[in-house]
Amino acid sequence: MTEDCEIEPTTDNEIEPIEDGGTEPIEDNETEPAEDNETESAEEKPGFWQRYKWLFIGAAALIGGFLVGLGIVRFADRSYSYHGTVIQSPHRATDFTLVGLDDRPVNLSDFTGKAVMLYFGYTFCPDVCPASMVELAKAMELLGKDAEKVQVIMISVDPERDTTEKLNEYVTHFDPSFIGITGRENEVEAVATMYGIFYEKHEGTAATGYLIDHTASVVTIDPYGYLRLIYPFNTPAEDIAEDLKHLVN
Amino acid sequence: MTEIIAGNDSGNNEVEKPRFRVVWLVYLALGILLLGVLSFVTFRPILVLPRITLAPGFSLTDQDGNRLTNEDMRGKITLYNITHSTCTAPCPETSLVMKDVQDQLPELDTGGLPVELVTISVDPEHDTPQELRSYADSLGADLDRWHFVTGPVERLKWVIGGGFRLYFDHMEDGRIVFDPGFMLVDSRGILRAEYRNADVQSERILRDIGLIADEIKNGDGANKVAYEAAHLFMCYPPR
Repeated sequence: MTEDCEIEPTTDNEIEPIEDGGTEPIEDNETEPAEDNETESAEEKPGFWQRYKWLFIGAAALIGGFLVGLGIVRFADRSYSYHGTVIQSPHRATDFTLVGLDDRPVNLSDFTGKAVMLYFGYTFCPDVCPASMVELAKAMELLGKDAEKVQVIMISVDPERDTTEKLNEYVTHFDPSFIGITGRENEVEAVATMYGIFYEKHEGTAATGYLIDHTASVVTIDPYGYLRLIYPFNTPAEDIAEDLKHLVN
Repeated sequence: MTEIIAGNDSGNNEVEKPRFRVVWLVYLALGILLLGVLSFVTFRPILVLPRITLAPGFSLTDQDGNRLTNEDMRGKITLYNITHSTCTAPCPETSLVMKDVQDQLPELDTGGLPVELVTISVDPEHDTPQELRSYADSLGADLDRWHFVTGPVERLKWVIGGGFRLYFDHMEDGRIVFDPGFMLVDSRGILRAEYRNADVQSERILRDIGLIADEIKNGDGANKVAYEAAHLFMCYPPR
């Protein structure tokens, strides 16, 4: 701003004498024999735009520059390169209701205002689920204070064996803020289908009982309720934490 | 008086000049950037398809009685349609467009990315694997690349109704009604295009398959920013 203000008199004088001489020579002649103060005020009147032109142009340029800068910052912000697979869904993520601890109903919409990370698994899951849960817990730790703005939900695809008590005991073992929900078999399948998750039972060994094949990606819904990011199995906690930090702020 | 002021100012002027230039350089740079953004929006150098939503998860049975899941389609661009084998005019015969796409696919350069077709039958009662197979034969389907699947009606409702947002129903008089449509899903399982009518030009579908393939081929590394900008400015192809 200072530059513009200091430039102003220079240009004034470059233009004004010409203007004065050209357009209003009579007035100039009239005022000049009088006092200097009057001369200035008389010059100001006809040359108001000339006098303040650069101030206005400078201000306009500054405002314009500020807006462009803001646009660039916003663009840079939005074009932050997410590690996860980005989705820009025009629809809000479909709401659903399943049951949580003490058989209380839990809706996806209960968590609006927080980023929600959905993971579909089951407590008997031998390797994939614990590995995913460990990564998610690590991501929460890396998030620090921002972890408050993130809710991890594990949806059990094995309602037959996973009671809500058992499920919640399992998930809080990884991170006390995690919650586990499930529902009737067809309810869980409907939710899984909507979120691109496939799962199917198959025989395991006598020790494990049946096992369930399932998609192990993590589905992330932003604080406004829109589906935003997908993390395939094996995404490092650091990548998830960095993305989420960006998503919740 | 004026002369004195002019004298003072010219003195100032010399001091100011370098700063004056720096400011204008900044404006110039911003102007060029703005122009770049504007020209990107206007000329749309890169076209992309929107990343609409996650394609549904499913486990259905194919014409050979084998399981086909959405996970099997990961890493491939997949075009879906819904129909049933006894669907003949006036029933919308969307499978004919699928056949057209299949026949033209070999000429499309996808940079080695596989493209497959999946026809989902909404009539599991009639469309046993055998029926699906003969339906496939009647269409001249290449079964290496084109799958015919079906499953329990409840599951189909979730996949087609819930996932793809297409309506279908079994009427009391035995008729089956459904919204004809094609769904294009990318290799990461994201729905990229929906064609909600029966008489879509196969050329348009092929163009869109090409756009997805281009993005997956080029959209990583240095070009990622350009592709993200194309998404941000909604540089979508004409519908």
